[in-house]
Amino acid sequence: QVSVLYFAKSAELAGLRCETLSVPREITSLQLWEEIVKVHPRLALIRDQVVFAVRQEYVLLGDQLLVLQPGDEVAIIPPISGG
Amino acid sequence: MEESEDVPKDFIKLKSEKLSVDEVSELVVSPYCGAVSLFIGTTRNNFEGKKVIHLEYEAYTSMAETEIQKICREVRQKWPSVKHIAVHHRLGVVPITEASVIIAVSSPHRAESLEAVMYCINTLKASVPIWKKEIYENEYSWKENKECFWANSEK
Repeated sequence: QVSVLYFAKSAELAGLRCETLSVPREITSLQLWEEIVKVHPRLALIRDQVVFAVRQEYVLLGDQLLVLQPGDEVAIIPPISGG
Repeated sequence: MEESEDVPKDFIKLKSEKLSVDEVSELVVSPYCGAVSLFIGTTRNNFEGKKVIHLEYEAYTSMAETEIQKICREVRQKWPSVKHIAVHHRLGVVPITEASVIIAVSSPHRAESLEAVMYCINTLKASVPIWKKEIYENEYSWKENKECFWANSEK
């Protein structure tokens, strides 16, 4: 079970800012995205523009294998605009 | 009273109150430094012909602070003479002409602090998880920094 955090446009499309999701302990970042889109289909709109932050490290959507621990934070990160 | 050694410090703050240039520059002033360089990011009132009413910022706060700490470490590796670094970023609603970000760096001589300030703001725009929403009269828009490596830039 991981904590999924939504920010900016992804929070608007998902309609919430955080939730816990059950996902396999080992999963690629792309598979993780697909699990999340099953729950919030409108997120598919921004698929090409987001990355993840897993335990506060950026991860691109792709084949990278993630090894998740219970309680890990996974954040959906739309294109940033600080400063 | 003995003077402290003036150990180099990083001052990082994300807050919703109005930012103060005086406060940020005073954080980095040091008797060992002849230069304090400053960058202030302010909100513009227009974008592509549309009138901007105000900006709204949100952040992944814990990660944003960590990423800014990384930037400070990088600054100290590249410019070892840099003394203090302060980065204050505002969150929530920021009215037009008010500051959204203030960066101040002190160093013994001016070249390092000037370069370090530029590096801080450029790297912040590329890597710190903070988002800006521009509010226009009839609509709004989530902005995307061109420095962001994962953003689509087909505009």
